[in-house]
Amino acid sequence: MNTRPIVAASPEALQIVTFDAAMEARIAELLPRYPTRRAAILPVLWLCQERFGWISPGVVAAVAARLGEAPAFVEGVVSFYTMYQTAPPARYVLQVCTTLSCAWCGGRELVAHLKERLGISFGEITPDGTFQLVGVQCLGACGQAPVIQINDDYYENLDIAKLDAILDELAGRS
Amino acid sequence: MPKLTIDGHEVEVAAGTNLIEAARAAGVAIPYFCYHPYLTVVGQCRICMVEIAGQPRLALGCATPAADGMVVKVESSERAREAREAVMEFLLANHPLDCPVCDQAGECLLQDHSMREQNSAFSTHMTETRRTFPGYERRLIGPHVVQNQNRCIHCSRCIRFTREISGTAALTYKSRGNSTFIDTFDGTAFDDPMSACAADVCPVGALTVREFRFRKRSWKLLSTPSVCPGCSIGCNIFIDHHERVVYRFTPRENPAINATWLCDHGRFLAESLNEQAYLEPQHRTGGQTVRVGWGEALAGIAAELRDAAALRVVASANLSNEELFLARELFGRHLKGEIAVPVAPGEPRKMRNGKGDWLQATDPHPNSAGARRLGINVVDGEGLSRFLYGGAGLTLILDPGAHPFLASPEALQLLRVGTTVVWARREHAAAHAATWLLPTPSLAGNEGTFTSSAGAVQRFVQAFTAPGTVHRTATGAMSPSCPTIASPWGPPGEARPLWLTLTALAHELGVPALDFASPADVFAVMARNDKAFAGLAWETLGGLQQHESFRERQHVG
Ligand code: SF4
Ligand code: SF4
Ligand code: FES
Ligand code: FES
Repeated sequence: MNTRPIVAASPEALQIVTFDAAMEARIAELLPRYPTRRAAILPVLWLCQERFGWISPGVVAAVAARLGEAPAFVEGVVSFYTMYQTAPPARYVLQVCTTLSCAWCGGRELVAHLKERLGISFGEITPDGTFQLVGVQCLGACGQAPVIQINDDYYENLDIAKLDAILDELAGRS
Repeated sequence: MPKLTIDGHEVEVAAGTNLIEAARAAGVAIPYFCYHPYLTVVGQCRICMVEIAGQPRLALGCATPAADGMVVKVESSERAREAREAVMEFLLANHPLDCPVCDQAGECLLQDHSMREQNSAFSTHMTETRRTFPGYERRLIGPHVVQNQNRCIHCSRCIRFTREISGTAALTYKSRGNSTFIDTFDGTAFDDPMSACAADVCPVGALTVREFRFRKRSWKLLSTPSVCPGCSIGCNIFIDHHERVVYRFTPRENPAINATWLCDHGRFLAESLNEQAYLEPQHRTGGQTVRVGWGEALAGIAAELRDAAALRVVASANLSNEELFLARELFGRHLKGEIAVPVAPGEPRKMRNGKGDWLQATDPHPNSAGARRLGINVVDGEGLSRFLYGGAGLTLILDPGAHPFLASPEALQLLRVGTTVVWARREHAAAHAATWLLPTPSLAGNEGTFTSSAGAVQRFVQAFTAPGTVHRTATGAMSPSCPTIASPWGPPGEARPLWLTLTALAHELGVPALDFASPADVFAVMARNDKAFAGLAWETLGGLQQHESFRERQHVG
């Protein structure tokens, strides 16, 4: 298990955003792959989320300026998609599949257990900032149901014991 | 030029015309919400569906160009009617239906369409409650625009306006699906020099104009075609008024100048038209100011004019061509006085015409071009001060708002030296230095023409007269206007347009050639004798003949 924690920049740090040379290099590498700069909004936002942990209005403004789009438009794009975080996330975002296959194979029990153990419901973050609980639709891994995605990694064929072990480890590490 | 048949009416239109405009030309109304003649076509609302003979699927009236031989059915198509009904069901599923307390009522496309199809069996399959946007029901999103998101039908007209016309791209959709709402970047103020146009284009009451909201029901308003007095671009407007109170300016379509737009600066001058600081003619003698009748005032001023050793006239680029012409002829040619029109620099303004080009102005007057074309001496502030220093005698100030210098202590001192006649409406220091003070009405109480910076001679129509207005009879004598039922509203008093007092003075002074009965008569003479107006006819000036059709369109836009 080597799920890396998200390191979210503070709102203060993301008030005014400038891209450093490393970011610029990655953006420059992305742009030629798209027919227009507007078409690159999604991947550039994604880069930013990787780098800063979330998309603040300051990040939106920087992306808009970099791509020659209106900030309002870019913010509209961000708000359309559910996978862009618009507030600082926890270190570990638990995206629990709530769709049929997982629900039948113990997903419902996992959700109940998570809510109880962490003391939060969907959309919330534990007070220590370690875990964030998000209910999602089918993660496309029904064969290994039930499934939870933690940050970028899939955890499959879970039961309560396995889940507890994972959470213990992640919590202990942090 | 494709020729087609729409609901049995044959019509020939220019290539590229869409079915909505072709139907309009044929006298058939295809309903629409998201289509706007000056915005890109997005085909979003789906209310404009029509049946085209030989095509299995219904077509969008906004996105289908007219083609030769097309047979289009709108009202006569059962399938199109059913489709429209289905769209209305969707749109109304979440609409608050609060027309009685909605300020858009009377000029709302959704309401109009509901009324038009009121006989159809509107029904709903919805059992859920309406989705709402708590906190977004009366949100001031900018200095002039109030949002009620519950009423939004997601037509994107407002967004397209800011992206395609004003260019600020300030508005956007946020979220998605059922929860989609209109917002600015990070909720910042909707700060756009043409922001109120976003409320104009909003087909429903989701965006309304703060200044106008709840001040008057739209169906009570009379719309008089006029020209914006805000700058030399000369956008075409309607003055919307009721009982002699001006409530708002709305854009009047002119593809060459303002398409269907107005800048906020010009639009919100409307309120200032209700100011009337001076109500009756006044005469200051021996340190006392007394009210006098028009007859006495005109006789007195005529006497001053006859006796004046030197006459200087400060005209104004806010005056109509007819008034400038009368001033030039009467004071310049007949009385051998000197005339100057001061022009002050103003804030930069810009306007986008129907072709998408920007028109620019830094001249805050609506008629400097007219003054120049009439050959009147146009001066700047310095020139004006030199003009006023030109020696004592009789000075006429036809409009104290002509230049800020006229309010300076220096100018006031100069005005106090000789005899000064001032025509004024709004409170002004120069009025206190006047020997004679004559009240003039606002733009709404006057009629005439302005020449725009691009050279268009445009007519503005009189919206109403002041209750005590005196008018000229055919013989030149003055009589009080027909007795009307006294109304408690509107500016009281006896203000009369400058052109009227100038013709009356011409009468007093025995210059019958200038004793005109109306600005139309003045214009006819100008059109005969002045190159700048050659070939123009009062009746057809400024596209005024289009109103009837435009009224409907303005209502829509
Ligand atoms: S606010 Fe008005 S103009 Fe804008 S999308 Fe909604 S209904 Fe259309
Ligand atoms: S651009 Fe000038 S003429 Fe047009 S609305 Fe604005 S102030 Fe009036
Ligand atoms: S239902 Fe959970 S991954 Fe498909
Ligand atoms: S007017 Fe054609 S889809 Fe809206």
